[in-house]
Amino acid sequence: MLRWFEQKDTGRPGVISSRIRLVRNWQDYRFPSTLDEKESGEMVRSLEFGLKDLGKDEGHNFKFAMLGDLEELDRVALKERRVLNSAAVSNKKPAGIFISENEDTGIVLNCDDHIRIQLLQMGLHLEELWERAGKIDDYINERFAYAFDDRYGYLTSFPTNMGTGLRASVVVHLPMLSQGKKFQGLISDMGRFGASVRGVYGERDENFGSLYEISNQKTLGQTEREIIDTVTKAAIQLTNQELQVRKLSLQRHRDEREDEVYKSYGVLKYSRRLTSRDAMIFLSQIMAGLADGLIHTEEDFSVYRLMLGIQPANLQKLSDRPLSKEELDGARAEFIRRELPEL
Amino acid sequence: MLCEKCKIRDANIQYTEVINGTKKEHHFCAQCAKEMDFGVYAAIFDGEFPLGKLLSGLLGIEDTDKGPDKLHQILCPTCGTGYDEFVRDSRFGCADCYSVFGPLMEDSLKQLHGNLIHTGKTPVYQRQDYMDLRSGTGEHEKDSTEDPNSAVNYEEIFQWNAKLKEALRFEDYETAAVCRDKIKELKKGNEADA
Repeated sequence: MLRWFEQKDTGRPGVISSRIRLVRNWQDYRFPSTLDEKESGEMVRSLEFGLKDLGKDEGHNFKFAMLGDLEELDRVALKERRVLNSAAVSNKKPAGIFISENEDTGIVLNCDDHIRIQLLQMGLHLEELWERAGKIDDYINERFAYAFDDRYGYLTSFPTNMGTGLRASVVVHLPMLSQGKKFQGLISDMGRFGASVRGVYGERDENFGSLYEISNQKTLGQTEREIIDTVTKAAIQLTNQELQVRKLSLQRHRDEREDEVYKSYGVLKYSRRLTSRDAMIFLSQIMAGLADGLIHTEEDFSVYRLMLGIQPANLQKLSDRPLSKEELDGARAEFIRRELPEL
Repeated sequence: MLCEKCKIRDANIQYTEVINGTKKEHHFCAQCAKEMDFGVYAAIFDGEFPLGKLLSGLLGIEDTDKGPDKLHQILCPTCGTGYDEFVRDSRFGCADCYSVFGPLMEDSLKQLHGNLIHTGKTPVYQRQDYMDLRSGTGEHEKDSTEDPNSAVNYEEIFQWNAKLKEALRFEDYETAAVCRDKIKELKKGNEADA
């Protein structure tokens, strides 16, 4: 079965993926940070037992694992594939995860909050994901009463999640727009509408691969629909602007663009060593080139899948022994050579 | 302008230092700023919950204004989370922390969310007996399928509540009044059943 990020979405150009995350807490227990080992274990087991038939009615298959039973490398690899967050990777207390076969749905138990429901899908599908997340939410709620307050909404460990407990996010690819002088201003404008934009890879200002995650800043005082609407509009707005800039660049600098894309392909196809930074930059060129019809490969493929695949822990997983940094760069080049289709 | 520390990246953080009345301006990039000691503001450049940590920065400042001693003694009776701990981690220890620390941080919450009233989804299966349990008046029933009638009623109340909220949003007070009366009626019915 293809995992969610291996599927190709032919919808809106520039939009990579959508994510809905809901945070809930079971009313019967204190929040995870104040539970001791015994209580945590007892709670996770109760949740696991209560949710064992999750997805059965819809024919979905969920696997359950205790996070502590997974190797650290596996947990980091799951984080790179966006299933877990940092808190779940470093978590030491008893915690569990229900995960669907294609990894698009994950329910993490007892990390920052008792229950963290997350759904991922390629393309712009926040509405659809919210519908599905809502069903899982109700299924859990039918068995476990939530900590809820009429005024503050769903009560969560962090004040940044209280209310709806909803984080709706969309990853977009903005290689040209982000180079423009007005980009920072554009991001601030989005902030005023309640959408925050951050680079996905690289530290702070540097963003290798030009992927940006747009998500809602606020979780309290707006309905879920309003939140989804804000994020969707911001995603459409930013990708539209990106497409306009790209269209202009094709009219004025088609040769240069074509040259850049083919050079990137050449480097990716023939390199023997690639740093994460370089690989992301060249893959980003290919992504834009494919979308603009500047380059055509023999088979359809998801560039995003390669971007996730070349992250350190996922590469390390493919090897039978621990790799040094140089060896990792070698493994990265080899992975891309193998996975990048012919022209 | 380049960052005055690394002299490589663009400076996008302006830091104004006032020591003994002497004002000095510094310009750093985000990476260098992260490595430096800015006290409570360091949290802004740090990891996963920038907004939440910012909140603790704001609360921390309020703390010195309001006379710290009294606030330091505040403790959540359910989970034992103290005010200092709450401010440091920007983290609630349990659902009851909301009634303990919530009123202290209304302003900060307003800054964070812009609005303090939840208008989104309501738990569909949050039944009266669970509510009673929280306020300590009812008996605990674990099995939510045991009493289907009250669950149906509750769902109906929930639906009317949603309609009421929608009506209030559009300032349709006539519909809102109808919804309010309907909810009252259903709630009475519930009590009579019990």
